[in-house]
Amino acid sequence: MKTETRAWNHLQRHAASQLNPGFADRVLRAARAGAEAAPSLLSIFALSAATAVLCFAAVTLYSASSRDSAERDSIAGWQRIAADSDDFAVN
Amino acid sequence: MESTQPTFSVDLVRRAQRGEPDAQRELIVAYQHRVAGFVYAIIGRSDSIEDIAQLIFIKMVRALDRLQAPSQFESWLFRLARNTCIDHLRRQKLRRIFTPFAPEHENVPEPAGAVDSEELDALRYALAQLRPQDRALLALVQEGRSHAEIAVTLRSSVAAVKARLHRAREHLREHYQPHHEN
Repeated sequence: MKTETRAWNHLQRHAASQLNPGFADRVLRAARAGAEAAPSLLSIFALSAATAVLCFAAVTLYSASSRDSAERDSIAGWQRIAADSDDFAVN
Repeated sequence: MESTQPTFSVDLVRRAQRGEPDAQRELIVAYQHRVAGFVYAIIGRSDSIEDIAQLIFIKMVRALDRLQAPSQFESWLFRLARNTCIDHLRRQKLRRIFTPFAPEHENVPEPAGAVDSEELDALRYALAQLRPQDRALLALVQEGRSHAEIAVTLRSSVAAVKARLHRAREHLREHYQPHHEN
């Protein structure tokens, strides 16, 4: 037998010896446990939609509150300028 | 690798597809050693064999009902195994970019002498010098897959598979140097 062929056979045997007894039962248990724990497509979609709605609401709220704050600052600024102008006109 | 004869019957696959645990267990037992060898040829590390083989068989159990042609089971299983191994190596490569170096993150083959045969050491060293895709190609051939089946797996032509296989074998021979040739 060629050494390369022997080596491939040896590789196969070495690899096979790395599997612990009860391998098939462990696989089946893990496959079943995973299938039970796996979320359904509907729940994945619902979670994605809820996350998107929350993100959109957070961005909208933040945007509205920063716009209000900028408007308030702007109005206060104009009011100060108007008051200064009145004082200047009176004097 | 030793066994390249089909180790399944279409009836067994059909029973496994219907979800019969005994049939599923029988299929796993029939293929676990061959899949372990296949994984080892591609991954090159003994400590990953069981985890990756387990992942492959879990995928097999979950996807079995989507297999249209039970007679193609073996070819389908090794395609699944090949893709799982390549994905594993890709994820390892990505993980290395984002995490600090640690020996367990490094995709290095086991050091020479980690196994007790000089021939096997030489083969592992030679395989480690090839690209994972070429290792997978050689492992598929060792598993008895035909050029046509491999072409379907790789979404390539038979001529391209033959050319790649020729190059992969050449590279393997360049690096395969057991100390005591018979």
